[in-house]
Amino acid sequence: MAIGPIVRAMKHNRMRFSLIILEIAITLAIVTNCVNMILAERAKMKQKSGFDDDHLITIFTTPFAPEFRENSYVENVVNADLRAIKAMPGVKAAAVTYFLPWAGGGSSGIWKTEGYAGKFQAQIYAARGGLFDTLGVKITQGRDFRENDTPVDPNASTTVTIISRALAKKLWGDANPLGRVITSGEGDRPRTVIGVIDDFYNPYSWNIGEFVLFTPGRAYGGGGHSYLVRTEPGAMKAVAQQLEPTLVKVNAGRVFRLLTIAEVKKNFFAGGNLVIRGMTAVIVVLVFVTALGILGITSLAVAERTKQIGTRRALGATKGDILKHFLTENWIVTTIGLFLGIAATYGLNFLLVTQVADTKMPWYLVAIGMGVLWLNGLVATIPPALRAASVSPAIATRTV
Amino acid sequence: MFLYNIKIAIRSLRRNPVLTALLIGAIALGICVSTTFIGLRRVFEKDPLSGKSQSLFYVRLDNWDPARAYNADDPRSLPIMISYRDMRELMKSDIPARHGGTYRASMFAHPDPKVGRPFNCDIRMVFSDFFPMFNIPFRYGSGWGKAADAKPEPVVVIDQAMNERLFGGVNSVGRTIRFDERTYKVVGVIGDWTPPFRFYDITQGVAKVEGVFMPFNFTQVLELNTNGNSDGWKGQADPTYASFLQSEQTWISYWAELPTPEKQQAYREWVNNYVRDQKKRGRFERPLHTEVTSMPAVFEEYQLVPPAIKSMSVVSLLFLIVCSLNLVGLLLGKFLARIPEVSVRRALGASRFQVFLQHVVECELVGIAGGAIGIALSVGVLQLIEKIIPQNAIRIGLDAEMVFVSIFLSLVAGLLAGIYPSWRVCSVAPAMQLKVQ
Repeated sequence: MAIGPIVRAMKHNRMRFSLIILEIAITLAIVTNCVNMILAERAKMKQKSGFDDDHLITIFTTPFAPEFRENSYVENVVNADLRAIKAMPGVKAAAVTYFLPWAGGGSSGIWKTEGYAGKFQAQIYAARGGLFDTLGVKITQGRDFRENDTPVDPNASTTVTIISRALAKKLWGDANPLGRVITSGEGDRPRTVIGVIDDFYNPYSWNIGEFVLFTPGRAYGGGGHSYLVRTEPGAMKAVAQQLEPTLVKVNAGRVFRLLTIAEVKKNFFAGGNLVIRGMTAVIVVLVFVTALGILGITSLAVAERTKQIGTRRALGATKGDILKHFLTENWIVTTIGLFLGIAATYGLNFLLVTQVADTKMPWYLVAIGMGVLWLNGLVATIPPALRAASVSPAIATRTV
Repeated sequence: MFLYNIKIAIRSLRRNPVLTALLIGAIALGICVSTTFIGLRRVFEKDPLSGKSQSLFYVRLDNWDPARAYNADDPRSLPIMISYRDMRELMKSDIPARHGGTYRASMFAHPDPKVGRPFNCDIRMVFSDFFPMFNIPFRYGSGWGKAADAKPEPVVVIDQAMNERLFGGVNSVGRTIRFDERTYKVVGVIGDWTPPFRFYDITQGVAKVEGVFMPFNFTQVLELNTNGNSDGWKGQADPTYASFLQSEQTWISYWAELPTPEKQQAYREWVNNYVRDQKKRGRFERPLHTEVTSMPAVFEEYQLVPPAIKSMSVVSLLFLIVCSLNLVGLLLGKFLARIPEVSVRRALGASRFQVFLQHVVECELVGIAGGAIGIALSVGVLQLIEKIIPQNAIRIGLDAEMVFVSIFLSLVAGLLAGIYPSWRVCSVAPAMQLKVQ
């Protein structure tokens, strides 16, 4: 198969082929960059929290009755609430806490410890015994909080803490973290590490998503508090429906807001999901549009050259020769477009990285993108090429 | 003549409805995608104060830990907000035309029992300057005066949704409403004011504006705590509220209106002098660092526009280009098939320019039709996106300016796609084709 005549024939239609080349180049740039963004978003979503996310419910209570000003009143209500929740059918465990997985934030502080140079930042949440059981996370070293770990005075600081494995590793490497003392940034309020939980991830700025201190404490006050409830598999719906009526029966002087952790997580990733959906739609439509474009332009080329094709056929070219001619033509154009597209891909990626802090483009994405678009071009050329091959040699004898 | 061109163009478009639908569809698709993503970006980037934001400045002071920067990885970082005690001192400056601190609190509204049960609501604590500073329009009444700030008087400003919920939407100025334990008089109902998010509090991200505004000085009276962001490093001397107000805890956003460059310069100097003075008293142990940043610059710094949306708007423009390229191919085919007809027109005396114009008009008709369909589609897509975003956190929609941009884009797309095919067809020699037939 001689490439020479094909290239010479193409030179007569420079504009048409440069259209396809440009289109393919831009398409490659868009598709690879979109896939890159989708992969970056998905990587964020894949992160595991370490908790039993699918069976957790949170219910916020905000009191408006003035009696809630009294600490002892709140204490009584919280205890009665927990008893009532735990007595519900389908409930595995429940705890009162300010910690909410996947809320996209929480509280943090700055701490110091012996064996670690400088200060470090970590999330901190008050917890009472039962929180870890409720979250469904295992204490792999040491022990859980006991009731007498919680100080009687709500303003007093606690003396013990349970931390995440990742924090222990950051602070002391592989050494045993139990018994070590963490203090505030000023060196006061010492807390001894009594336990380590294996998995912990809660999204937080400053990259402290895996670092946490839990301290025993009364995670409630006059301003409201929330409960985390873990249910049996399959009991989610029933428990979610009954939770508010149950708590209203305990005390009606407050309002409630119930969310499943699955919903909280969904809300947290709503932006990312939007990006993924938007990008996917763009990719699908774009590849389709490009295929249509190639199809249209090639059809045009075939229609225009019907007479020449007939002449070639009359002079002895087989159907296969004609088919090969158009496929080769398309192959040349697609290949040029794809190589131009490599430059366009990295150009666009550079623009996005410098302008809007996107991620760098891995080479294999470009390679896969090229493969897909190359196939796409081939598929789009086949129908018009087949039509060209079916042109009868007799056409050559007609005038128009 | 021009009308005649349009008439001929419409006739030509009608002759091949399938091809015309393809042409219009290509433009509509490109315009829909680009309008959607550029419109989404504009929701975040649009000046919420139509031109005034250049004269509004956000104040930050580095009162952080001497041993460690606010963001440990960046020694030049400083807290996003300021402490209560610093806000009190900044309020003493007479350089800004208007200024004040603000934060979000949370209270229970107790409506008339006939209206409904008590409900929890977000309350924005502000000084009287807040309303004129952010150009807030009023439907009924107005904001409160300086006297109400100082005392503080039990007054509130509510938005229309809250007015609807509490008073059924009537003019409620002078009516009262209980929040927690106190009763407040409504002095103003905010009019048509729909910023997409709480731009006056950059830590709040994308969230709708609060429905109730209350004099800031109730903070001390009611011992309120912020329901928004709060960062600290030092803790407080004792657990009393007075000690909390004297602590280094940063939880207040501070804005100052500085209309002239001289005032901006003077104010920066004034703020620096304040910090120098405080340093003598043992506070602000880090190197002197204050920032008085214009509103657009501070939005840019904290990336209030999600990066993904910026990327998508760039990508969507490229998408429009691909659609135009497709259009070029389709038009080329359509016009070249018409060469015999064109050469007859040329032979009968039509000039090259007339033929060219005729075809460009046809392309622009396609552009306008495709643009209109694309804009309509993108309005629907944006509404869908607004529904997907949880809790309707932001208002998304196209404003007049964006519609103009989209129409302009569709005209440009039609023109760019049409020029080359039109030029090809008008350069046909008049008699050439006649000979053959």
